[in-house]
Amino acid sequence: MRAPLVCAALGFALAVGVQPALRRGLREPPPLSELPATPFSLQDIALASAGLRAAAADLAWIQLLQYMANSLPEMKDARPYEHVKTLSLRVARLDPSFHRAYLYGASILAFFPEANRPDEAVEILQEGLSRDPGEPLYGVYIAALAYKRRGDADRMIALLEPTLGDPRSPIEMKAIVANLYKARGEYEKALALWNGILDSELEAREWPRARVQVAEIKALMKARRAAPKRQ
Amino acid sequence: MNTIKAVFDYTFREHVRHKVWLSAALFGLVLLAGGLVASVLAQDERARMMLDLGLAANELIALVMVVFLTVHLILQEIESRAVFLILTHPVRRWHYLLGRFLGTLAAVGLGMAAMGLVHWSLLKLLGWGGDGSYLLAWACSLGKTAVMGSLALLLSLALTSEAAAMSFSVFFWILGHFSGEIRFVAEKSGNSFLRAALLAFSRAAPDFAHFNYRDAWHAGVPGPAWIAAAALYAFGYSAACFALSAQVFEQKEF
Repeated sequence: MRAPLVCAALGFALAVGVQPALRRGLREPPPLSELPATPFSLQDIALASAGLRAAAADLAWIQLLQYMANSLPEMKDARPYEHVKTLSLRVARLDPSFHRAYLYGASILAFFPEANRPDEAVEILQEGLSRDPGEPLYGVYIAALAYKRRGDADRMIALLEPTLGDPRSPIEMKAIVANLYKARGEYEKALALWNGILDSELEAREWPRARVQVAEIKALMKARRAAPKRQ
Repeated sequence: MNTIKAVFDYTFREHVRHKVWLSAALFGLVLLAGGLVASVLAQDERARMMLDLGLAANELIALVMVVFLTVHLILQEIESRAVFLILTHPVRRWHYLLGRFLGTLAAVGLGMAAMGLVHWSLLKLLGWGGDGSYLLAWACSLGKTAVMGSLALLLSLALTSEAAAMSFSVFFWILGHFSGEIRFVAEKSGNSFLRAALLAFSRAAPDFAHFNYRDAWHAGVPGPAWIAAAALYAFGYSAACFALSAQVFEQKEF
């Protein structure tokens, strides 16, 4: 009669005994109380409590993309890109290994001229460094930002250029570097980047912008070629 | 051993022919196909989303299946009085219970394997370059399902109400995913009694938050020590709940 109770005690003792090893083996996500307050907090907590943290982070990622496309009515901007940091950190705190959320948010805040909030970008990248160690692009972006602040565009581009082929690098970064090339008159390099975007199915969301840019750059190149002939 | 196998066989067949099992498995496949469409919205992270949604759908469907089937497992046989017929034969009560439980788990595992196979194929169609850690994520889901199954069995026998057993099972599922939060609150608490009580509670409740490799997939593959700990945890917790169920079942008067 006592045998089942002894077995139950042994089973519980085994489960409780291995619990510390279980906790040590997986990277612990931040507590839910650290999630930024958004109109989607209930959605995040409901999914996380059902054990669907990764899926919640994926949905939060889609909402970040919707926000960037001005299709998220729940979050209205008083100033451009106001909620990028909040929404990026929301994804990252639901799933701290979501590399692209840190890189995407930081690249927009740091390098989009209309956003221009490098401090917020650094905060996102620093959180990436502490919560998602081992991702080399965070350090590269922070260094590129430091050069940008010093006005050293050459070094900034030199740092960012090799990361563009990295599949973890956001497409937006290609667009940012292409625009930098264009502004510096390096049209061939800018054209190559935009054409690369047009050749990639995965980068389809940048195609409309890429088509406009390719046409503009080709016109600029034509104008440049024509300029010496007129002289 | 033969009696356990005989009970296992008929339980497995019964479940696989059951409408609930078939509709749940079918619904899981529909969810996976739905994930294929929804994941387009994630753009660069399509494969990641497809992976996360598929694993989550597989586990949730398995949870619904295991709770529903296990809660009805013994209670329905008591209600229909079929259990009297079985126990008049030379079958020990815990053998009968073990055969029923393992048969249910095998049927749910088969459903999970079918959904996993479809999910894996869809991921490969999307060009996903994943490795064997998919199997680890799947096995962790199976471990969670085994823990939930044994817990649901214990609750159904102890509470003798299907509705109450299902509600409490879902409660424990949610509680299990809050084990990290409970410990966080305990660590922040200034009251030593409350802290000790919360820590004890977080240890006694199933620790699904740290068992959830599915949610920590993208952070890398855990070491063999973690895999061994996870296997032992699932076995220990399920065995403990099953042993308590056997104790409650032994004491029932028919």
